[in-house]
Amino acid sequence: MTDASAQTILSLKNASLTLNGNTGQVEILRDISLDVSRHSSVGLVGPSGSGKSSLLMLMGGLEQATGGQVTALGQNLTALDEDALARFRRDHMGVVFQSFHLIPTMTALENVATPMELAGQEDAFDRAAAELEAVGLSHRADHFPAQLSGGEQQRVALARALAPRPDILLADEPTGNLDGANGKAIMDLLFELQARHGATLIMVTHAPDLAARCDHVIRLTDGRIDPTTGSTATEAAE
Amino acid sequence: MTPGFRLAWRLALRDLRGGLKGFRIFLACLALGVAVIAAIGSVRSSIQTGLAREGATLLGGDAEMEFTYRFASESERAWMQREATAVSEIAEFRSMAVLGDERALTQVKSVDAAYPLLGQVRLTPDVPLHQALAGQNGLPGAVMEPILADRLGLEPGDTFRLGTQDFVLMARIDHEPDGAASGFALGPRTLVTTKGLEGSGLLAPGTLFSTKYRLDLPPGRDLATIAAEANAQFENAGMSWTDARNGAPGIAEFVARLSAFLVLVGLSGLAVGGVGVSAAVRAYLATKTETIATLRTLGAERQTIFRVYFLQIGVLSLAGVCIGLILGGIGPVLLGPWIASQLPFPAVFTLYPSALAEATIYGLLTAFLFTLWPLARAERIRPASLFRDAISTRTRLPAPRYLAATALALAVLVIAAIWFSGSAELTLWTTAGVLGALIVLSLAAATLRLIARRALPISRKRPVLRWSLSAISTARDNTTPVVLSLGLGLSVLAAIGQIDGNLRLAISGNLPDVAPSYFFVDIQRDQMPSVRDRLENDPQVSKMESAPMLRGIITKINDRPARDTAGDHWVLEGDRGVSYADALPATTEVTAGNWWPTGYTGEPQISFSQDEATEMGLKLGDTMTVNILGRDITATITSFRNVDFSTAGMGFILVMNETALAGAPHSYIATVYAQPQAEAAILRDLASQFPNITAIRVRDAIDRVSEVLTSIAAATAYGAAATLLTGFLVLLGTAAAAEPARRYEAAILKTLGASRGAILRSFTLRSAILGAGAGLVALIAGVTGAWAVSRFVFETDYTIIWSNALGVILGGILCTLLAGLLFSWRPLTVRPARILRARE
Repeated sequence: MTDASAQTILSLKNASLTLNGNTGQVEILRDISLDVSRHSSVGLVGPSGSGKSSLLMLMGGLEQATGGQVTALGQNLTALDEDALARFRRDHMGVVFQSFHLIPTMTALENVATPMELAGQEDAFDRAAAELEAVGLSHRADHFPAQLSGGEQQRVALARALAPRPDILLADEPTGNLDGANGKAIMDLLFELQARHGATLIMVTHAPDLAARCDHVIRLTDGRIDPTTGSTATEAAE
Repeated sequence: MTPGFRLAWRLALRDLRGGLKGFRIFLACLALGVAVIAAIGSVRSSIQTGLAREGATLLGGDAEMEFTYRFASESERAWMQREATAVSEIAEFRSMAVLGDERALTQVKSVDAAYPLLGQVRLTPDVPLHQALAGQNGLPGAVMEPILADRLGLEPGDTFRLGTQDFVLMARIDHEPDGAASGFALGPRTLVTTKGLEGSGLLAPGTLFSTKYRLDLPPGRDLATIAAEANAQFENAGMSWTDARNGAPGIAEFVARLSAFLVLVGLSGLAVGGVGVSAAVRAYLATKTETIATLRTLGAERQTIFRVYFLQIGVLSLAGVCIGLILGGIGPVLLGPWIASQLPFPAVFTLYPSALAEATIYGLLTAFLFTLWPLARAERIRPASLFRDAISTRTRLPAPRYLAATALALAVLVIAAIWFSGSAELTLWTTAGVLGALIVLSLAAATLRLIARRALPISRKRPVLRWSLSAISTARDNTTPVVLSLGLGLSVLAAIGQIDGNLRLAISGNLPDVAPSYFFVDIQRDQMPSVRDRLENDPQVSKMESAPMLRGIITKINDRPARDTAGDHWVLEGDRGVSYADALPATTEVTAGNWWPTGYTGEPQISFSQDEATEMGLKLGDTMTVNILGRDITATITSFRNVDFSTAGMGFILVMNETALAGAPHSYIATVYAQPQAEAAILRDLASQFPNITAIRVRDAIDRVSEVLTSIAAATAYGAAATLLTGFLVLLGTAAAAEPARRYEAAILKTLGASRGAILRSFTLRSAILGAGAGLVALIAGVTGAWAVSRFVFETDYTIIWSNALGVILGGILCTLLAGLLFSWRPLTVRPARILRARE
């Protein structure tokens, strides 16, 4: 994936995830080890049910590993409690979802401002307005999610994820619910903003062309990293 | 407000833009519960204020000194004349008003010229009281309550007889200013002058009567001081003091006790409402899972999430409580004139802050208790919920801080209830009952789900039954609130119905088998042989018992004030019947000590009732001072006896040896056990031969007690009905919350080819099963509670009242059917395509 060096921003060592379902324990991820270097972009690919989204969740501290270790920015995420993880995400991570997950009762501006409000930043709304302008939606600031198109909602979600200037940007199939034109526009915007702000991007995707735009690609099969995963995007995505 | 709370408040307000769908039931449950308690408290305060304001009028003077069995002595009269600006003397006793062969029990009040010191007796025709009592044609006058006049067929101008004296009925009583404070009476009132009674042969020494001296005191005279002075001088002589500070102590105590009980019934209703509140909050938070998970992803800490929804629910709770306060506070004021017309005593209807504060405290604490756990669970929603159905944390207990807060709120609620109701015992029993019922009903709901799951295989070839059982076994969010809310409401109704039914049965149903037909009182000693002769020679009289009867007040035990030893025991309240005997009566069973020897003439001895002695902490060898007719008699307790009060026969707590009391003026009391057809002849013979004798028909007395019970039961039933109404509201809320799931289920079933009739049958069947289950558990809980109350509180036998039992189960089924079917119509009518497309 990347050279293990001082530039490593995210690291997993033998991480695993087992969940208790109705029919017993289910092993979602097994023995995952990888390093992600700062400012790089990583595509997570693999068939449905292979564990891509779960791996993304482990990296974001949205899910606790049941084995091994997850380290981000030198912080062992497996040792943090729920609130400490929330604070860590607030200060260092942005997340973009396939289904946008904008809060339906908040306007576009309020949605973008929320993470900064949670961080106690006084200028949350000014920065949110600037961020909306950056994604071309300043004229939609007072609209609620239900009044926005899918593409617009995802742009608001992007603005929300990037407004606090996170070190790590996690994206879970960000174009999965969008048509081709909108999807491409969003991806262009995503990579442009990532490059502009210097965030590390980790993205789950099914689309080979999107994976191809990443610096590195990791292929998952049945909860494990496919050992044949190449170091270039094209190899992995094929 | 801290920055954290400010942020939570902002987020809460934004979140509330989504509307308050599903909170109508939340508000209704809370408002109804608070309204009931506020209304009960307001009516109680209205009556208390009325009693306090009209204390002197109700009492008939600033103060009253009451003596049993005698008029005041010279020294007592002298004290009254010295202290009061005006004194009015009244004597009260029971007697028979006779018109030809018609006889009716009446409570006679003989008054002097000064009566009434306060207020006015209003009469029809409208003549001044003393003009009426002066009579006409040389006969003294009388006025009586219309019910008595009607019973005897008397019209103004007609003559009737009391004892051996004829009176002219001059008017009917419309209003007696001091009537309400007289308390429970077996017969309607007749008012005459004491002078007019002189030729009646009534009020002879030994007759059962009491005298009341109403005092007008100089302005500014401190009632507490004069009460202390009077008690110090005359209490030991059998004087009982009442003053305008609490002019109608009987009513005041009755109202306080009944309202305390009703508030506790209201609290049970609030608990039922709490179940609805809790269900509404759960349903609301379930719709907020995505928002909460998103906020958590964006970095919101658990505390922030808790605060956001705590503030929302808090604001809604305040709104619910306010609606309840408006309804419960203003309702009694608006209905005041009507309520006042139904009450036999004064009431001042206005807003009472204390009553509203009580309801507010109960409402807020209940809302807090029932919403804390769902709120605490909300903060556990993890960001991963956005990706997959996160592992359920529903069944896990909340964090310790929430458990501690729950315990604290519960403790505050119980302490508040004890303080407001004034009865720790009643409050703790009610709390235990409600908590116990909630636990039992929760277990019952779990059991019902389990049974439904286990029964699935047998429903394999019956799809309608299978869909119903399947829905019951899986729908935790539906089954539990239905069983809890309906079950709790029905439990209260079952318990009250069963207790009331058993009490009635004990009083009116079982008693006539063992109770006498008549009590005859005021039989003079020289009349006893004739009375005995008439009764013992009547073949239709199965039994006759008689005993000398005096009345006395126990003032001291072992030479110290009696209350020091026996506290507030009822035997020490007022005067008690006292008798004497020489030889041990045949039916008397001595349980400890020895009955005095026949012909005993030594120091006075007492044989005391065993049960009461145990309760009062008495032992053999203790001395007891009894004031009889103003004279103290001190005697040693030498034996205990069994006294059975349950048969309404003759039962004296205190019996002395003959020589201790025989010298005092006294009369006899007799009980007669006769065939019903012989009763009229016995009454006619004895009443015409001995006009001074008063006959009390036991059946009439029972009817009178039953009337009082009926009004208490009615008041309680209203409280219980409010509880059931709240339960029904919760059912509606639960059914409304379950409607989307039913719509989806109906859409799928229709797609698979099920007819609307089959789906409707399935919806009906699950409602009926849940209702029957809740009703059955409620019945078991109610019957258990009622059995315990009957057995241990009233000490009566317990029989299941089947009409009530059947009503509870049918009521359960009917309620759930109604609520369920109300919300079944839409799922049945919507086209499947619309539902399924919207779901995608």
